[in-house]
Amino acid sequence: MKPSILLTAVAALALTSSFAYGGKLVIKGSDTLGAKLVPQLAEAFKAVNPDTSFEIAAEGSTTGIAAVIDGTAQVGMSSRHAKATEISAATAKGVDLKPVTVCYDGLAIVVHGQNPLKSLTKKQVEQIFAGDITDWSAVGGKPGKISIYTRNTSSGTYSDFKELAMKKRDYAGSSQKMAGNEQIAAEVGKNINGIGYVGLAYVNAEGVQVLPVDGALPSPESLRSGAYPYSRPTFYYTNGEPQGEAKAFVDFTLSPKGQAIVGQVGFVGLK
Amino acid sequence: MATPDRPVARAIRKEKRFRPLGLTADTAIRRFFQGNAAFAILALVLIMVFLLREGAGFFGQNSRGIRVYRLAGLEYVDILKAQLDRHAELTRAANALRLKIFSGALAKGTAPEAASASLAGFDAFAEALGDASEDVRSLASDLTEQAAAVKQREQIYQDSIEQKAMLIRAGKAGEAAAVPSVAVDFSSEVKALLASLPVYKDANRLFAKKLSAALGMVGPQSVPAAWIPQLSGLKAATERYAATFPAVEAKLAAWRYDAPVPWYRAVTAFLFGRQWLTASFWQDWYGILPLFFGSLLVSLIALLIAVPLGVVAAIYVSEVAGTGEKTWIKPAIEFIAAIPSVVLGFFGVAILGQSLRAVSETSWLSWVPGFPMSERLNAFTAGCLLAFMAIPTIFSLAEDALTNVPRHFKEASFALGATRLQTILRVLVPASLSGLISAILLGFGRVIGETMVVLLCAGNRIAIPDFTEGLGAFFQPVHTMTGIIAQEMGEVVPGSIHYRALFMVGIMLFLLALGINYVAQRVVQRYRISIG
Repeated sequence: MKPSILLTAVAALALTSSFAYGGKLVIKGSDTLGAKLVPQLAEAFKAVNPDTSFEIAAEGSTTGIAAVIDGTAQVGMSSRHAKATEISAATAKGVDLKPVTVCYDGLAIVVHGQNPLKSLTKKQVEQIFAGDITDWSAVGGKPGKISIYTRNTSSGTYSDFKELAMKKRDYAGSSQKMAGNEQIAAEVGKNINGIGYVGLAYVNAEGVQVLPVDGALPSPESLRSGAYPYSRPTFYYTNGEPQGEAKAFVDFTLSPKGQAIVGQVGFVGLK
Repeated sequence: MATPDRPVARAIRKEKRFRPLGLTADTAIRRFFQGNAAFAILALVLIMVFLLREGAGFFGQNSRGIRVYRLAGLEYVDILKAQLDRHAELTRAANALRLKIFSGALAKGTAPEAASASLAGFDAFAEALGDASEDVRSLASDLTEQAAAVKQREQIYQDSIEQKAMLIRAGKAGEAAAVPSVAVDFSSEVKALLASLPVYKDANRLFAKKLSAALGMVGPQSVPAAWIPQLSGLKAATERYAATFPAVEAKLAAWRYDAPVPWYRAVTAFLFGRQWLTASFWQDWYGILPLFFGSLLVSLIALLIAVPLGVVAAIYVSEVAGTGEKTWIKPAIEFIAAIPSVVLGFFGVAILGQSLRAVSETSWLSWVPGFPMSERLNAFTAGCLLAFMAIPTIFSLAEDALTNVPRHFKEASFALGATRLQTILRVLVPASLSGLISAILLGFGRVIGETMVVLLCAGNRIAIPDFTEGLGAFFQPVHTMTGIIAQEMGEVVPGSIHYRALFMVGIMLFLLALGINYVAQRVVQRYRISIG
């Protein structure tokens, strides 16, 4: 049911139908990047370089970095920096992990479309997700027990949010772990008392509304200026400087054309 | 007289036998069957060895984790945090009480402003209660950072050791020597933590003083008469809480960073741990209880639904239905088993969950505990779908058990003048009871091992269901042992403690399934035809 499975299937289909002599680029990692952005970049890239075929698997940042270390992918997508253990594992295998910043992603706080609440403060967000506040009335909303939806524990976003929004505290025991951004948006859209966080690409999901945090709504301007508190860079990891197909694809991503796609998908470009 | 075309002797003469590897046809066939059986057993043994090999390292890693938890002083800070958590509960209780009084007043037709104004006294109390912990809280937050930093340094040190080992293995001794690696001196690090004890005691005295000041702000006059008992309950709870402070201080004073961690701690922390907390910046806990109770609760719901349906359908088909009905009911029920579980899971997410919640929101059902459901994906949604999956298993086995009752039992019963219902309830069901029980147990085994449905529909909340809500617990989201493996295994780092913890959960599932099957078989063997 993960979008990644579907993507892999689509990528596999694309592979079998593409020319046998084309170069093949294997990209693995973060669901945030791999669900929408990278497949679209790959399509645009293929329009220019029809000989290149792609295999894209989006199963989380950890898998992406591990795949680059093991040499099973040329490019690893990650929504977080490589951990110290990952860097040391790479060094031992003679792999030089090199990050390239792709774009910025903001985490938007979403609630049900009919939730009367119009804004939250950083402190309230922390208290809600950590379980200090369990009822909407405590933040000035309509009384009701808050239902918290988070990503699953091995997702990069799961720990990013703790770092960005919760002073590294742990989530409330009552939080429900969802497999992806889309699932969080779907559950929040169906639950009047729900709250969750999603990447910016998912804020237009049906039935949800984005709440401003400390008065700032997530937008390209507020993310770049730092006015919106929950933003993070996303990366491609490669073994040393990217080579061949990988280099062409990384360059394409950073080119104005690539960055335009970044903007269309809902992320915030570097400039 | 005509002679036969071939001489008889030639017709019956044996062909010279072909004996590959010196085996006759009979032994070859025997070996073939033997080989197949052996292969299945070998595969089982290999799976067990694999599970144990991958999971065994868990206890060592867990034990190290718990030791560092103590050495770096995280345990010490958690004593403080536990005190603050209990305070947070009190504040929540106060807020909940205010909300109840407020909505009670609104229901009586009081204007919101007037209702708020009449609660001014209570609000002052609630605010003072919430703010009382300020000093202790800020101290705890400082200590949290200190202890987390010590743990972080220990982590870096361990990483550097690992990195050196990897480099040496790769033949790069020179580079290995260049890796900086500083061991953490826990005793001096912890001294800094312990030095805060006098500060804590001061803060605590202030905390207690502020609590009693808050209690003085509120009296029977602050709330409507109907709520006075609740208010005194809250006040009493606050007093009881303040009375625990000396015990907390004593606990902190008695804490030793170098107290040995008993060897069984890693095992009990897993088997009886109430928290499954991973990717934490503070401390990871791998306790199986929330997952175990989740699995058990979902299975229980599934069996409550599936057992009556499956067994009664089996009785109907084997004893009551005519041949015409039998020819389609049996295949139809058994066909359910052919539906892929992911399809059922998708049905649960897309339709069942939403419909069940819509039903739970109707007003005439509000007497049911747990209604209206706050989550559409919960143990009950998953349990309903699992029941559907368990029905074919229970039905088929129960039907076999009923058919296996010797015919003369039934005939004797009829001959004595018993009606059909009496025969079924007094003769057939007791006689096949062992078979029915094993059918139920195997249905249980089927349900507890199911993954896709629970992953999609159980709500994935990693917490022991709140049984204080009684049957309301049925409608809470849960996470399960199978679900956690499916959800987390794809993304953990192989060899890490999290990875091994998931294997341990797998081993527990394996043992559970083994136990259920063993009991089911024993029941059948031991009590076959229990009367007669």
